Amino acid sequence: MSALLDIKDLRVTFNTRYGEVTALDSVSLHVNEGETLGVVGESGCGKSITALATMGLIPSPPGRIAGGSIALNGEELTSASEARLRALRGAEIAMIFQEPMTSLNPVFTVGAQIAEAIMLHQKVSRDTAMKDAVALLDRVGIPSPAERARDYPHQLSGGMRQRVMIAMAVSCRPKVLIADEPTTALDVTVQAQIFDLLNEIQREFGAAIILITHDMGAISEMADRVAVMYAGRVIEEASADSVLDTPQHPYARGLIDCIPALGKGDTALKEIPGVVPPLHLLGAGCAFAARCAHANARCLSEKPLLANHGHHPSACHAVEEARI
Amino acid sequence: MSNQNDMSDYTAESPAREAWRMFRRNIPALVGVFILAAIILLTFYGQFFYTGDAFDVVWAPHERPGVTPEFPLGTDYLGRDLVAGLLTGGGATLAVGATAAMITMIIGITFGALAGFYGGWVDNLLMRITEFFQVLPALLFAMVLVTLFSPSLFTIAMAIGVVSWPQTARLTRAEFLKIKELEYVTAARAIGAKNKRIIWKVILPNAMPPLIVSATLTIGVAILFEAGLSFLGLGDPNVMSWGLMIGANREYILDAWWPVTFPGLAIFFTVFAVSLIGDGLNDAFNPKLRER
Repeated sequence: MSALLDIKDLRVTFNTRYGEVTALDSVSLHVNEGETLGVVGESGCGKSITALATMGLIPSPPGRIAGGSIALNGEELTSASEARLRALRGAEIAMIFQEPMTSLNPVFTVGAQIAEAIMLHQKVSRDTAMKDAVALLDRVGIPSPAERARDYPHQLSGGMRQRVMIAMAVSCRPKVLIADEPTTALDVTVQAQIFDLLNEIQREFGAAIILITHDMGAISEMADRVAVMYAGRVIEEASADSVLDTPQHPYARGLIDCIPALGKGDTALKEIPGVVPPLHLLGAGCAFAARCAHANARCLSEKPLLANHGHHPSACHAVEEARI
Repeated sequence: MSNQNDMSDYTAESPAREAWRMFRRNIPALVGVFILAAIILLTFYGQFFYTGDAFDVVWAPHERPGVTPEFPLGTDYLGRDLVAGLLTGGGATLAVGATAAMITMIIGITFGALAGFYGGWVDNLLMRITEFFQVLPALLFAMVLVTLFSPSLFTIAMAIGVVSWPQTARLTRAEFLKIKELEYVTAARAIGAKNKRIIWKVILPNAMPPLIVSATLTIGVAILFEAGLSFLGLGDPNVMSWGLMIGANREYILDAWWPVTFPGLAIFFTVFAVSLIGDGLNDAFNPKLRER
């Protein structure tokens, strides 16, 4: 079975004052119907760019898709017309943003905004769209939905706003739902509710979800498969259990070591030393080499490719050479 | 699946209502509204109570105010009633001001919105055109336009609009540059909205507060412009306006101060009221200034 959304060797570049910088380099991801793919990595790893590229929303200029393909249900998106992309956006492929505070338009009521989204893709009257909007608000667990539909975004709490965003995103029953750090701006109890809601929505609508996050807890709760990204590349990809239990790449190991655990006795929180290097300073070798305890001369000169070195695919010379 | 957090700020108001509440508490702005309302009522309804054609010669020239009960503000150099002039002339002045402000907004918002939204060569082209209009001496350019198209209320409003839109264009462009980067604009794209919809239905409503303020202040500027043009003899000679009254009587100002002073005061109070309202709107829409 071919994947619902299939990204192959995607390359996205940005023109910056340092010259052309490669933000995504041969990124391949796929997600099947009803499946949740977790995409993890630190800030600046290319997670959000992957999401925007999939939506066809790379700000251009300065960005552009320089190579590779994105296929939705077999339809190529990188060469699709803007009009075709518009028809797909919201209808077939929808997105939930990180900041529910800023991703709703402050001057319109939330009901009107959901109704807009419906009317963009379905030929229905405003009345019908408003009724659908209220039903959706009810569906995403907002109490007294008819009254809340008349509220402005700033009258709702962060959790409620994220529910509104989810209602808007699923209003046309998209096949793919991209959630870009949907809970980062919310407090922990609300995070759990939003994940529950996304799970319910997925069961009900059968949508594929791409969950972009840097929260390993979210991955363990939500994801079926995980892709770990670093500096614009996928460096490890496997089932969620596999990655969480036996991470291969030193970066993935580091990310999982960073999860604080109760009762382990460790006092200090672990961290991965250093930061993601600026993209224009990436050399010939592994982008993680400078932060890696296992790096050798080969790591500095040759880019490791994603390949199965025993357990599941990872892009690391040290794993390949069985040094770790 | 509800939590107490959800209902915490339930009593918050809509932005427009909050602005209105702020505006209502602003005494100078309310004074402005009161003065302007009084002037509008007088100019549009005053003629029903105080009949008399402003162009009719009804009495001896240069009658002092308060001498003859029928002409409480006296007469001008031809013996025309000043009260009739003020009441009739206000309509023309206000109409020209409002029309010119509207033209300014239409041209300015269109240029600014397209330039700010599309950026690149569109922005370059539109902003160079804007600068071309900006560097022309406004009054002179307006005079040329009015002379070219024979003075009438509409051509005067047109001329004022054409010379004063660059400010609005720049303001709109700045707002668009700021707002188009916000997440809800990306979110609007993500649900499949077209550029046209994003410009007019998503960004523009959010850019309106400073534009409303600017429009209000533009009315004041346009009224002064109209007065200036009429003063220079470029007003519509068939329509009484405050500027025309000042212009016609300016030569006799040393012998008779009143025919120029009263229309001057009328213009002053109108522009003053409009400015107070504009400042009040500015305070109401700008949360950072609210706590002053």
